[in-house]
Amino acid sequence: MPRAPNAVDFWRGFALVSIFINHVPGIFYDQFTHRAVSISDSAELFVFLAGWSMHYVIGNPTRPTPMHHVVFRLGGRAVALYAAHMMIVMLAIAILASTARLLDNPLLLEWHNAAAVFYRPIETHIGIALLSHQLGYFDILPLYVALMLVAPLLAIIDRAVPKLLLPASFALYLASLVVPLTIPAWPVEGQWFFNPLSWQFIFVLGLVLGRDWGIGRWVRQHIALIRWAALPIVIVGMIFVLTGGTWIDPTEVPEPKLLFINGKTFATPIRVIQFLALVAVMSIVYPYIARAIPTVVGILAMLGRNSLEVFCAASILSLVGQIMRYALPDGVWLDTLLVTGGVSLMGMVAWLSEWRARAGTPV
Amino acid sequence: MWLLLLSTLVAGLPAYASGEKGTPPPPALAQAVPAEQKQEGNLPPVTRDCQVGSTEVVTQSPLPNVMRALRERQKIVILAIGASPIVRRDSNAGGYYDLVEQFLEQTFKGLEVEIVHRGVSGELARDAGARIKMEVALVKPDLVLWQVGTADALARLSIEDFERSLGKTLVWLKAHDVDVALIGLHYIKALTKDAHYQAVRKSLKKVATELGVMRVGRYEAMETISRLRGEQGAPPSRSRMTEAAYECSAEYLARAIATGLFHKDIPKPADKPATK
Repeated sequence: MPRAPNAVDFWRGFALVSIFINHVPGIFYDQFTHRAVSISDSAELFVFLAGWSMHYVIGNPTRPTPMHHVVFRLGGRAVALYAAHMMIVMLAIAILASTARLLDNPLLLEWHNAAAVFYRPIETHIGIALLSHQLGYFDILPLYVALMLVAPLLAIIDRAVPKLLLPASFALYLASLVVPLTIPAWPVEGQWFFNPLSWQFIFVLGLVLGRDWGIGRWVRQHIALIRWAALPIVIVGMIFVLTGGTWIDPTEVPEPKLLFINGKTFATPIRVIQFLALVAVMSIVYPYIARAIPTVVGILAMLGRNSLEVFCAASILSLVGQIMRYALPDGVWLDTLLVTGGVSLMGMVAWLSEWRARAGTPV
Repeated sequence: MWLLLLSTLVAGLPAYASGEKGTPPPPALAQAVPAEQKQEGNLPPVTRDCQVGSTEVVTQSPLPNVMRALRERQKIVILAIGASPIVRRDSNAGGYYDLVEQFLEQTFKGLEVEIVHRGVSGELARDAGARIKMEVALVKPDLVLWQVGTADALARLSIEDFERSLGKTLVWLKAHDVDVALIGLHYIKALTKDAHYQAVRKSLKKVATELGVMRVGRYEAMETISRLRGEQGAPPSRSRMTEAAYECSAEYLARAIATGLFHKDIPKPADKPATK
């Protein structure tokens, strides 16, 4: 039996639906996702919850999971994520190629950084395998793979010197902003859209805040006070976004500039602080939502329980959605069809995944 | 994480270290301006494959900030934004922007051109706007090359939104002493009757003209080249056209920048007849 709906699965399902909608640029419903009123978006939520879930694998000080189990499980998860990423990238390339042929539009071969795959396949296939070549909107899983590859190391540090994990993560985060450090792309020049050296901090924050000891425990004990402190930050963030985010001129801020400006690639402090404030404020609402709309909560929690399968489906569906918006007469009707159809299919993928687990399907 | 960190360091980062401004000028700088003027009449002819007759391919515009960088530092920093740079089939040939770099460095002896690639393929003008501001702050470019419009057209974004986003970012860049060169939409035969695509194309041209921003009309160039080749009975293959679109755009762009640096009314790059 799948586990009952809970806040973590619910919010992860929420993040997956948001990512699906946000990955169809120009879609009418984009304005109703939380990024329309928030500096951070569903990417931060997704990575934070990935870190949060990691503490279930690690266990707690009184009942620690054997370290070799932790390492194998996290390593295995990294491999699964990598395989899933390869599959959806190949599918995306095939979808772009077949649509380009069908619509007689070679421009689609160049969409979302796919051009190099077709025009210089030898190096680009190596780049895809090394994760140094990423298609546009298919760049969150490479980050997740990178994070899960280092997750065993994080688990070992956490077990050996628990108090070191967050400071070490913060130090690396700070270095990535101050120097700044990033991961280069290849063969197309550039850098990773989600810089793992910065985003690992959100992942680790999820891990340490998720557990009911250490800093996580302290936060739970003071959550009411923290919420009151966080509320103005959320409101200011909302006004910042609604007014076009023009208060801060990036050229005017002091060095190192990344400490003061809003940048998604580096998960800059302004985003992280607003995100943590948002988490603190919104953490109060789940019980009310669960009571008010249990069916919706149940569906989103189901999506969250099967996040990898659903994420893969959402990635492909959002690409299909983009192509449909290009190929068909646009309008709210089409966007409505895409969102309802897409979320329904994501639900079906999650349901099938759980059905297979229930049925004990060996393949 | 250490592996990632190591690979980062090995790859020659920090990423933005190269974008520094304010470094003391090299000794050769005193000769910079005379050297550049000597070159003025000597722009090589437009390559045969990229000739487009009288078609207006480039909306020329002076580049005062690039000019100043050339005078003061003998180095210009170019930020490439918008669609990702496309690698060429020949793995030894570098990217298309490398053609721009080579052209400028050959034209202006002693000039160092640095191109910082921060393209995100499929990025809409409105999303690029915020990122451009951040990258300008970090890289401190003299010139921004912005491939813009295609993603907005394919995403069926409203023309008003596109114009507003584009205009706001261009005004911001001007206000922050950064020159801009826009690289327009692609020419694809299947899109010649696509009303929205054409509307975005015209909108881009309109905004560039109104704000006095340099624009390379990739669409117009490739449409003309495609027609001319057809008339000559040698219609290019689709893949060759794609390659030519990038190569010629890079050439037009490089010539437009060079012309902008000469800052005089010399013939439009694409109009100049080839001697070959």
